[in-house]
Amino acid sequence: MRKRNYSLFLLIISIFSLKGQVAPVKDLHENPPRVWALTNGNVYIEPNKLIKAATIILRDGIIEAVGTDPDIPSDATEIDLNGNTVYAGFIESWLEIPDPDTIRAARDHWNKQVRADRVVFDSYNPDDKDVQQLRELGFTTAHLIPKDGIFRGQSSLAQLTDKPVALKTTVAQVVDFNFGGWGSNAYPNSLLGCIALIRQTFLDADWYTKATAIFSEYPEDNEPVEEDLALDALAKARRQKYPFIFNTSDELYALRAGSITREFGLELWLKGSGYEYRRLNAIKTLNPFIILPVNYPGKPDVSNPYQALQYTTEQLKHWDLAPDNAAKLVAAGIPIAFTSAELKNRSDFRKRLTKSIQRGLSPEIALAALTTVPAEKMGVGHFVGKIQAGYQANLVIVDGDYFNYQDPIRSVWIGGNEYPVKPAPIVDPSGKWELELPETTWRLSFKKSGSRWKGSLEYDSLAFALKDVTVDADRVTWILKTDTLGFAGSTRFTGHLEDSTASGKVFFASGAIESWTGKRIEFHEKTKADTLRPESPSALTVVYPDGAFGLEEPPKKPFAVLVDDATIWTCGPKGILKGWDILFVDGKVKKIARGISVPRGAALIIDGRGKHVTPGLIDAHNHSAAASINEGTQSVTAEVRIRDVLNSDDIAIYRELAGGLTVANVLHGSANTIGGQNAVIKLRWGVKPGDLIFRKAPPGIKFALGENVKQSNWGERYRTRYPQTRMGVEQVLRDAFTAARDYRKNWETYYRDVTLRKTKIPPRKDLELEALVEVLEGKRLVHCHSYRQDEILMLTRVAEDFGFTVGTFQHVLEGYKVADRIADHGAGASTFSDWWAYKFEVIDAIPYNGALMTRVGVTTSFNSDSNELARHLNTEAAKAVKYGGLSEEEALKLVTINPARQLKIDRWVGSLEVGKDADFVIWSDNPLSTYAVCEQTWIDGRLYFSIERDKELRQRDKRIRNELIQKILATGDDGSPAMLPSSDGNSHGYSCYFGDEQATGEGGAR
Amino acid sequence: MKRIVSAALLFTTLVSGSDQIPAPPQSHPILLKGGTLHTVSGDVLKNTDLLFEKGKIIRIERNIRREPDMEVISVRGKHIYPGFIAATTSLGLVEINAVRATRDYAEVGDINPNVRANVSYNPDSELIPVARSNGVLLANVTPLSGIIPGQASLMMLDGWTWEDATLKHPTGLLLNWPNMRIRSGPQIKKSAAEQRKERQKKLQVIDDLFAKARAYAKYHGVNPKPVRYPEGHDLRLESMIPYVNGEKPIFVQANEVQQIEATVHWADRRKVTIIIVGGRDAWRVTDLLKKYNIPVIYQSVLALPTRRFEDYDQAYKTPRLLYEAGVPFCISGTGSSFATANLRNLPYHAAMAASFGLPKEEALRSITLYPAEILGVSDRVGSLEPGKDATFFIADGDPLDIRTQVEQCYIQGKKIDMSDRHKMLYRKYRQKYKQSGRLKPSQH
Repeated sequence: MRKRNYSLFLLIISIFSLKGQVAPVKDLHENPPRVWALTNGNVYIEPNKLIKAATIILRDGIIEAVGTDPDIPSDATEIDLNGNTVYAGFIESWLEIPDPDTIRAARDHWNKQVRADRVVFDSYNPDDKDVQQLRELGFTTAHLIPKDGIFRGQSSLAQLTDKPVALKTTVAQVVDFNFGGWGSNAYPNSLLGCIALIRQTFLDADWYTKATAIFSEYPEDNEPVEEDLALDALAKARRQKYPFIFNTSDELYALRAGSITREFGLELWLKGSGYEYRRLNAIKTLNPFIILPVNYPGKPDVSNPYQALQYTTEQLKHWDLAPDNAAKLVAAGIPIAFTSAELKNRSDFRKRLTKSIQRGLSPEIALAALTTVPAEKMGVGHFVGKIQAGYQANLVIVDGDYFNYQDPIRSVWIGGNEYPVKPAPIVDPSGKWELELPETTWRLSFKKSGSRWKGSLEYDSLAFALKDVTVDADRVTWILKTDTLGFAGSTRFTGHLEDSTASGKVFFASGAIESWTGKRIEFHEKTKADTLRPESPSALTVVYPDGAFGLEEPPKKPFAVLVDDATIWTCGPKGILKGWDILFVDGKVKKIARGISVPRGAALIIDGRGKHVTPGLIDAHNHSAAASINEGTQSVTAEVRIRDVLNSDDIAIYRELAGGLTVANVLHGSANTIGGQNAVIKLRWGVKPGDLIFRKAPPGIKFALGENVKQSNWGERYRTRYPQTRMGVEQVLRDAFTAARDYRKNWETYYRDVTLRKTKIPPRKDLELEALVEVLEGKRLVHCHSYRQDEILMLTRVAEDFGFTVGTFQHVLEGYKVADRIADHGAGASTFSDWWAYKFEVIDAIPYNGALMTRVGVTTSFNSDSNELARHLNTEAAKAVKYGGLSEEEALKLVTINPARQLKIDRWVGSLEVGKDADFVIWSDNPLSTYAVCEQTWIDGRLYFSIERDKELRQRDKRIRNELIQKILATGDDGSPAMLPSSDGNSHGYSCYFGDEQATGEGGAR
Repeated sequence: MKRIVSAALLFTTLVSGSDQIPAPPQSHPILLKGGTLHTVSGDVLKNTDLLFEKGKIIRIERNIRREPDMEVISVRGKHIYPGFIAATTSLGLVEINAVRATRDYAEVGDINPNVRANVSYNPDSELIPVARSNGVLLANVTPLSGIIPGQASLMMLDGWTWEDATLKHPTGLLLNWPNMRIRSGPQIKKSAAEQRKERQKKLQVIDDLFAKARAYAKYHGVNPKPVRYPEGHDLRLESMIPYVNGEKPIFVQANEVQQIEATVHWADRRKVTIIIVGGRDAWRVTDLLKKYNIPVIYQSVLALPTRRFEDYDQAYKTPRLLYEAGVPFCISGTGSSFATANLRNLPYHAAMAASFGLPKEEALRSITLYPAEILGVSDRVGSLEPGKDATFFIADGDPLDIRTQVEQCYIQGKKIDMSDRHKMLYRKYRQKYKQSGRLKPSQH
């Protein structure tokens, strides 16, 4: 028995119920009853609870009852759901709402990117097209997200009704890592600055709360506080424990967000990136709730093998692994919700979701991620997300299975009002019919093919195709070319259909018109949409970092390693030892002697005959493994920190390991006089960013002098930032340190005086000045980019006036002219071996610089400032033998113990002495020889690089690449846009000379 | 021990009080006795004498008899090598790359086949003696910008004027092959279709230019010319005649595999002679290069791999792969104007290739004889052979090893002033610390 469809009927009346609750009535009151009984539905009352043939009673926007046999109220309009599936209405967990153009007002935060006071619902003016599109995907409710800024504002949860209703006006604070690019002059223009601003703003919000409280109590003792709505809103968000959602673009951003929420004790939510599987365990420990887009990449275009070279292996892997991300997160116990955001075509949402289901994501979990999970997280779990009495009458009605994208959604109900999506047809003509014409009986059959109808006529056991079959509601027309039947021309039919009967007229080619009647002799079995073909999840193993040369697990740490009978360059008091042994136990140097013997099997033994062993090389100036280098908008940015932006995926780490490098001083760039805080890292390939950090290393900061900070080579556009002369650079330094001294004094005064602490507004904690105070107190090392002798001398004087000692002069190419001054001041000098003449201030650079400074008593090192040079610092050191005649032993110290001393990490690394870290390199030859090749690099007693392992990795990656390309070629096109190659994703790295955008190769200047 | 000896030698050269003075022509025969001669074209000859006169090598034999007019220098324990040849550099065309006024390698516009490198080669550049001090005695100086930057000149790194210094002009015409990749990424704003169109346009520019030049060559090649008035001239096309005729080579800058392939097929189609410059991906198409016998000036030994997934030592080992495949090649520095001042490190590019499998003697050839062959001057320079220029240097060891000192250079028999800006500044500031007693006497 076919039932008349209910939807069109409802459409008409539902419109009337969408009235405002307070607006005056314009003509007559309209109050149609809003009581419904939806019968005969397969109802998921919760993601894991299905009631078949159930009835749902809705009254005035609320679910009144649900069950197999509830009493149907007498005032209810009954609707037969015909066995359709009913789900609780879905929550779109991330819907960005553009910013209204508001006028900046007095109480706004100084930085336009900080607008935590904005409540998105206040400016929500739904875009009908968006809303319609969301409803068509089954969304009844949306989590509205303010669009622009760093602190974007407060998210809201709203019903997707025509006149929107907020279920909750403030759900969470939304934060984005948003910054202008190089060339933008608004702070921040880098990720570095962005994170610093986020941290400072949290501190400011704390201060603001205290300050306003004290002011209100002691207005006579204090200047009024500048009102700031954003800080107020942030303070409130923290007090009321609102979650903070961070928008992320890859897994490392998730970790960055995590370290911020940890620092400030916030609940972490993430707008995911789809890359979470790459650092699953690390992300899990952050305990986040993740809103996941399903924008899986389309197929990479690998049809042209050369063009395919532009795809990194990591990209190809992501194509295969992305659809498994959600299941991996769920398996790790991380709560997720889905969003259709980030899709190029939002309408692809179900298709993508279906893909994950095919790959093994459980439909129950997927349903929870659309309903109960986001509802609970957003604090509305008690009335949204389930089909239970007392819940919002939000429903999704699907003819089949939502998680098979081919099954149509019939309608959604939002707050007790129905919005049709794809109503079932009034009559489905599919099947066979018998047509009675005055003199003949024909057999017709109809079926739908895609969006078009087809039909055929059987006559004398011959079949003729019908032309132009149209079905319009219950009207049908078609044409029969009657030539073949012996009549010239075309005969046209028109008719009206009921479920089992039909009638109409036929217009013969001759012009004659007759009536016909028909009856259905066979219903066409409802074509079950193609059942989903399960697919296996990607067979690929995630490696760390994912892509080429990543490791499946961290290198093992053998308890003991003995290098037997090698030439050992201790770089310590023992000098160079030929034919000695060195024993490492538990990650430390245990013993250096001749003929060390260990019990059989007690240690990994490396035959050192013909080999040279040196300490791991140390690069005192490096920009690898950092996602951002310069915050160049201001002359002083001491608050920004390289540790916030470490990029453990940088292939430069692996390549530098292969050149014997184990420790790098990753520095901020030289765009401004006082740049950001450095990070000393150990090149532990594969670990997460935070674990790269060499924790024992004292903190440092980058300074810069000369042409770069006065923007001499930046082009005509850059002529206004202070300073533009070396005179101004000195003044910037004196100004900053005077400010730091005042700052420290203010705090001291504040802490000394108990009454003051009660009645006076406290000083504001300033991350920039805190770092400079640490410099004044000798707790933070200054690494200063410098070239000319005048500026080197100048900084030593400024430092002495303020009572601190410069850690290192970096580059310091005219250091040889004032080596006595550098030595007397007590600074180190970290220079290039032989670079010169790339800009005017290095016209007097000479390769004898290193040797001459060493001779005059300066602790000198050679650095790379280049991802390429950092791969052979050993031969850079050899240049001090050639130019200036250092001994080989002295020369190697330029890249081992001397940089260790400069970074104040020489207690642990830089030489092979008992008790120090097992960071060492095995070379095929004298390490100062240009023919020497690094064979093994060990850090903390773990083998991070070896030529043998590298060979295995090459083979593995070659095989993976090839298998992936074959899989891609064998995969059908699913209509999504092709993944674009990352093209220039190769890390050529940064150099001080350039800003973030500029990548440099070997020729890059500093 | 070696250190003391070399240091002593070094400082004797530092006593000069002036800037470096170009050497006068060789006035008398000089006999270098008892050295180890790295002939490069043949064997390493130990304990062998080398006689040169009027700028040419006369004899290489054991125990050459001393004649009265000869200057005899004992080089026992020393090594003699032919001068290194920088196959591409902007030496002499730039002093300080960041200072615009000192840049002369980039003429305005895309098409400049007529401009000549040697005419703006600054023989007084401070960069020249620095490069020369480490055995780099010849440099193929190339303009750099646009599609056709100009013509290159092979310069000797000594001389009062650019005319004195020119060994050969032109060595060839530069051509920067258009990028053949379709690029994508956040910075790339142009669609694939736009990029294809742009690329096609650039290729068309090249083809049109060559077609015009060929027509021009045809017209001007007819003798006597048909009477035509007025006589039109076109310096650009005029300068291209030897290149469209295939008489002289075109240095085509091409790094990426599709560029290299396109270049080779274009040259074959247009019947021109080319040399690939750059050649990062050359190892991917060695069969093609071998088939057409196209030499490669490989510029990227001390470089990062081109792609993230490539082997860490890809750039280091590419010369070995070219050698094993039988592709004619030589090793150059990057050729970038930023790296001009680092020209002295040329031997270390070759050394890195040797560390990663290129036989050591091949590494040496890759910066001596091979560039000479590729630049068409192997009859004059590139090896130690009688009849060739006396352009060589004396070193205390293997000059591919950084620790080795180059002690004396000769260019066409002229004894080169071994001082340079760096040595002078070194000497000057040693004085500072001697005066203040900060250097111990043993370190003087």
